Amino acid sequence: MEVNGFHCDGEGCAEEQEEEPKALRRPRSKTEASCSIMATPGADSAAAGGSALREQRMSKSTPAMLRLDSLKKNRPPFPWFGMDIGGTLVKLVYFEPKDITAEEEQEEVDSLKSIRRYLTSHTAYGKTGIRDVHLELSDLTLWGRKGNLHFIRFPTHELPAFLQMGRDKHFSSLHTTLCATGGGAFKYEDGFRTMANLQLLKLDELECLIKGVLYIDSVVSSGPPECYYFEHPTDPERCEQKAYNLENPYPLLLVNIGSGVSILAVYSKDNYKRVTGTSLGGGTFLGLCCLLTGCSTFEEALAMATEGESTHVDKLVKDIYGGDYERFGLPGWAVASSFGSMMCKEKRDSVSKEDLARATLVTITNNIGSITRMCALNENIERVVFVGNFLRVNTLSMKLLAYALDYWSKGQLKALFLQHEGYFGAVGALLELPNPS
Amino acid sequence: AHLKSFPWFGMDIGGTLVKLVYFEPKDITAEEEQEEVENLKSIRRYLTSNTAYGKTGVRDVHLELHNLTICGRTGNLHFIRFPTAAMHRFIQMGRDKHFSSLHTTLCATGGGAYKFENDFRTMADLELLKLDELDCLIQGLLYIDSVGFNGHPECYYFENPSDTQNCIKRPCCLDNLFPMLLVNIGSGVSILAVYAKDDYKRVTGTSLGGGTFLGLCCLLTGCETFEEALEMASKGDSTNVDKLVKDIYGGDYQRFGLQGSAVASSFGHMMSKEKRESISKEDLARATLVTITNNIGSIARMCAVNEKIERVVFVGNFLRINTVSTKLLAYAMDFWSKGQLRALFLEHEGYFGAVGAFLELLKSSDDA
Repeated sequence: MEVNGFHCDGEGCAEEQEEEPKALRRPRSKTEASCSIMATPGADSAAAGGSALREQRMSKSTPAMLRLDSLKKNRPPFPWFGMDIGGTLVKLVYFEPKDITAEEEQEEVDSLKSIRRYLTSHTAYGKTGIRDVHLELSDLTLWGRKGNLHFIRFPTHELPAFLQMGRDKHFSSLHTTLCATGGGAFKYEDGFRTMANLQLLKLDELECLIKGVLYIDSVVSSGPPECYYFEHPTDPERCEQKAYNLENPYPLLLVNIGSGVSILAVYSKDNYKRVTGTSLGGGTFLGLCCLLTGCSTFEEALAMATEGESTHVDKLVKDIYGGDYERFGLPGWAVASSFGSMMCKEKRDSVSKEDLARATLVTITNNIGSITRMCALNENIERVVFVGNFLRVNTLSMKLLAYALDYWSKGQLKALFLQHEGYFGAVGALLELPNPS
Repeated sequence: AHLKSFPWFGMDIGGTLVKLVYFEPKDITAEEEQEEVENLKSIRRYLTSNTAYGKTGVRDVHLELHNLTICGRTGNLHFIRFPTAAMHRFIQMGRDKHFSSLHTTLCATGGGAYKFENDFRTMADLELLKLDELDCLIQGLLYIDSVGFNGHPECYYFENPSDTQNCIKRPCCLDNLFPMLLVNIGSGVSILAVYAKDDYKRVTGTSLGGGTFLGLCCLLTGCETFEEALEMASKGDSTNVDKLVKDIYGGDYQRFGLQGSAVASSFGHMMSKEKRESISKEDLARATLVTITNNIGSIARMCAVNEKIERVVFVGNFLRINTVSTKLLAYAMDFWSKGQLRALFLEHEGYFGAVGAFLELLKSSDDA
């Protein structure tokens, strides 16, 4: 039986916990309960100390004993992946162990080593795969191992190429569980099986999303704060990103903006409901932009939107009223009819692609904001967290959401954002690894 | 009674269309006719002997209310519309026909009543009596519903909205209109909760309305009018353009009750170059229509649930000759609420604001 790079037993790992930065020791009993194998401050430190002892133990264990040991402690064999196969993007998180001993390395199978090297020595894979290095979480302790958590994405339409790679690298021989969430976990289940002989552990995307959000927020201890908000979002001079403490997050409205949108009301770690959704999401923005401007990628669409002026495209309240619609508190600058000026040929001929891209962005974003506000009001929740890859490199939308929520709720609602945006589903999937289905 | 002098008009100057209601008296005595000033006679003849005015004005003859008795006079109520873009030409015409010499009050609502107030004054020496559009909408709706549509019900709904074969339009006998959620779909959308004749609030609105549908269609398909856009939409298939739940899940998303046929991401396929090259203009028009309509339906439903109102009445000219949208709204309300909500529609669709303004004219005469 091959040892897939796993070595440590529970007591031996206790020493590592003492080396943890203090921030990780924040008491977060709820997340600890869900990630029961995660480092618990002070828990096993009473056990025999000293790495020397650990090595002594190591040299006496056979691979089979180690595996048995790990199974007893419910730790999964490497590699550790979490996968979220969405409508547009596949999000992959990969845990790279940094505490591999010489012995472990020696026993490590080639395919595992090759996977580790391939993933960590590149930041781009093929033509479309990308590793978001700026999101990497270093020195993370997970299930007794220390390492880096990597965040990788590629378009869902490249999944066949990914499966091919899995087959070529004999991933299935590693007998590891592949935890996957998102619609694609269901849609491509057979594909994984037939093309790469891999069995997926399918998980619900919203379950994973919530677990992932709670986990990441609890472990981020250095670098930019995971959760933040915007102060003075529409004032370019004064606009500031500020940290927000999500320690007592409940109740929370979680708005996941991917290809489409899901809105969840989260009351506690295990108590949430899907309030509603809207089909006007990130996929709509990109699809419409491609049609209206001829662009091909999300980045191009955003670049154009940054340069454009949506008021050339939209019909504002002042275009209809000549000013404010005072009776119902609608300021003249509010949009009365998105793309409303485009029914006029002259106006169509006078707008630029950039204006159209901007209007598309503003329309989709404001619609999401409006629906979100209605939900927050009905569910009586003041905190709204926006996640999902529509917001990736998209400060325009984030600021718009921040402003709109604040303005239309007269300061009652607060828009919050998270650094790891669209990766929470994949993280949640990773966290399910120790639990067999 | 000191009645307001003829002509009797009500005007709703919206973001896209001007809606005009005109009362044509049919009980004019020989004496009255003799005393009638020339320009008044000319206005009456011009309006009632044409069904089209200039290049863009249209009289919706099928909506005409016959033998209406109001404030002691009997006549026909006519429904006329023209693009707001032609407003200055209209004001010009008012000047040319010496409308101001008739010393009549011109009751106007809609944003344009405020925007064009000065133009009316300076160009045609006419003073507008400005009224709120939502007040007028409700008063107009209640009035038309109470007088009926030439003996037929004004209000209707669809039976079996989910069944394309057996979906039938049925008249609706509303014993009690209240409370109702009123969704006015014009260039943009306003959603009102109406509890009684004089008790309502504007719940919310959305800027994704009829203007969005038409604007996007013009951009995406090269069409130029609402009628062209609808024509294209009736022939297209939006599922070629939208990404459905089954495109992402391979089937239903059972956990949260989302059928495979539900749209997950509107226009979601259009990020793919291949798909963009394989769809037609008709598909794009259809997808635009479906996207806007479903978004309105979704928001309306949320409001109905929150306000605890079961009746949702949809009005506004977005629904004019637009059975695709009316049926879609009927279906969506029924389906997503599991039969709790009912979508209702009214024959005079986009004219209620103008009717409300018209009523205000007569109301002010009662006070005199």
